[in-house]
Amino acid sequence: MTGLRRALALVAIEGFVVGLVALAIILASDHIDDNAVNATLLVFVGWSFIGAGLYAWWRRPDNRFGALLTAVGFAYFLGALTGADAGWLFTIGVLLSSVHLAVFVHMLLAYPDGRIASRRLRKVLGAGYALSVVGPLPSLLFATPATLDCDCPDSAIRITDDRTLFEVSDALMSGLAVLIVGYVLYVLITRWQTASQPRRRAMAPILWSGVCLLVLLAGSLTSEAVNGPEIVSSATSVLGLVFFAVTPYGFLFGLLRSRVVQAGAVSELLQRMADAPDGSGLRQLLSNALGDRSLQVVYWLEDKQRWVYADGRLATLPEDDDRARAWSPVEHEGRAVGAIVHDRSLCEDPELVRSVAVAAGLSIENERLQAQLRARVEELRASRARIVEAGTAERRRLERNLHDGAQQRLVALSLSMRLAQSKLRNEPDAAEQLLAGAQAELGRALEELRELARGIHPAVLSDRGLRAAIEGLAGRSPVPVELAGTPRERLPAAVEAAAYFVVSEALTNVVKYANASQARVSVSRTNGHAVVEVADDGVGGADPGRGSGLRGLADRVSALDGTLELRSPQGAGTLLRAEIPV
Amino acid sequence: MAWTILIVDDHPSFRASARVVLESEGFSVVGEAVDGASALTECCRLRPEVVLLDVQLPDTDGFRVCAEITSHAEHPTVIMTSSRDGSDFGPLVSTSGACGFVPKAELSGERVQELLGP
Repeated sequence: MTGLRRALALVAIEGFVVGLVALAIILASDHIDDNAVNATLLVFVGWSFIGAGLYAWWRRPDNRFGALLTAVGFAYFLGALTGADAGWLFTIGVLLSSVHLAVFVHMLLAYPDGRIASRRLRKVLGAGYALSVVGPLPSLLFATPATLDCDCPDSAIRITDDRTLFEVSDALMSGLAVLIVGYVLYVLITRWQTASQPRRRAMAPILWSGVCLLVLLAGSLTSEAVNGPEIVSSATSVLGLVFFAVTPYGFLFGLLRSRVVQAGAVSELLQRMADAPDGSGLRQLLSNALGDRSLQVVYWLEDKQRWVYADGRLATLPEDDDRARAWSPVEHEGRAVGAIVHDRSLCEDPELVRSVAVAAGLSIENERLQAQLRARVEELRASRARIVEAGTAERRRLERNLHDGAQQRLVALSLSMRLAQSKLRNEPDAAEQLLAGAQAELGRALEELRELARGIHPAVLSDRGLRAAIEGLAGRSPVPVELAGTPRERLPAAVEAAAYFVVSEALTNVVKYANASQARVSVSRTNGHAVVEVADDGVGGADPGRGSGLRGLADRVSALDGTLELRSPQGAGTLLRAEIPV
Repeated sequence: MAWTILIVDDHPSFRASARVVLESEGFSVVGEAVDGASALTECCRLRPEVVLLDVQLPDTDGFRVCAEITSHAEHPTVIMTSSRDGSDFGPLVSTSGACGFVPKAELSGERVQELLGP
């Protein structure tokens, strides 16, 4: 027997004994009519609360609701002291006879979470507890049994017999109580109105009997004063007692229903999933099974370490402190495959969510594989589009460079040559000067063409390999470059080209943005990968989304199934690292 | 009497060469403009008889500038030029209101004179 079970058994025994004592007090009372009926009702109601409360406590030890339900039962037994014939015991009984209503309100407000989050509500509840004890004081302080029209014992703390004082103070107490009850009713009804479907379902079993009881209480408080020790005295009291007494049964009924619903939901879910093995409409099935229309299914992509929706879009899970939404993991064969994102109130029924999650494991795994595929396809599609776009942009850039650079120089050259030709005979000096200018222009045009050709594909790379090509890049860079190492053997042409352009783009960025004093380039062959690293000692803080250069590189690298990684903490240099499978 | 001419092109090397070529063949280069907007203002200010207008300008399309220039009454004669071949532009030259096209590499006073007529 666990510690909790032993403790609960002890509480059960105490409840039983307290009930018997209460029974004895009422039966022995000489001022209560219908002793047997009243005594039976008292223990029946008290034990109902204690029994249901202990059951709830045992099922959900983390939720304080069970303890509160039990406490209502114990507090209810305190009222039996009003049956005592001794004046002082009777007085204590009357003082405590309304405490159970305060505990009941506490329980209503704490249902179903077991907590009262709002500080204001806790204050109101505190006032309710205080008033439950202070409320009967007017009848004890200012009235004799004769004034109260009751054959009960005289109060042990009476100081005077003044009907006016009694009635005024009693009405004041009743007024305060009505205010508190009214506010609690307002809170409960607002809660109901704003609650989600699953939360309403969780609230329903005890909310309505509780609300009815409070309405009656408010009604009787406004019309009459505290009515002496008799339990059954009027029609409203009887009705109130009925609503009070059915509350624990409403709660038990709710639990039972959720179990039946759970078994039904899970078996129906299994059946439906067997009918639709491709996982179509999985979200709808789970949403029906859990009665949560807002439910979402997300899938875990192990390789990408992220959550996605069925269509491959990135998903984010609700935080732990999210008050509206929560998520439950779904596993298949011991691996996380997905999660069900649902209304937070379903956390009150963890068995249901867990059994649905278990039932859905295989389907979610299948869906996950599909989602993984879709995410991959989506990625490929985007990257392919970017590669095509990059190709077009590259061609535009080349055309522009050719047009603005070499072509303009050649045009000017052509004009100079024609002019020189025309002046050759009559003004040989001018012609010579024109030709010298043309020579210089031709040199610049050639240099521009060389630069352009290198940008398209460096000939030295194909002819002499990666090391020579990178040495060329390093030699032309205005920032000093240390070349740490390159593989001795040649790599596949596509890999060499990708590695070359990674270094080229990285060095261009170092010159443009990094404000570095030096850069370091290394290309190594590790674990079947060509690893290209370009590091600098500059200002860091490079933005991976900046310009199209890095994204173009990432596409070029991922087209070879490689990965590109940029590490650039503010103020601590930049490292661009590519890993390309060889 | 020499023709007055405005050269519109964003490449300084071409403007310099064109000026030397045209002036050596008797044209009077009255101004240069580097883009479409300044071409229009220079046109109004200098009132040249001929405008040598590059097709590709940094701010706009040469054909559009040509249409704008030739929309005024008593407008100058516009000759389009480009480092591309005239055939690249299809019917654009004739529909823009220009009087003709000279490829940049073939620019000479003689070619311009031919287009301007006797």
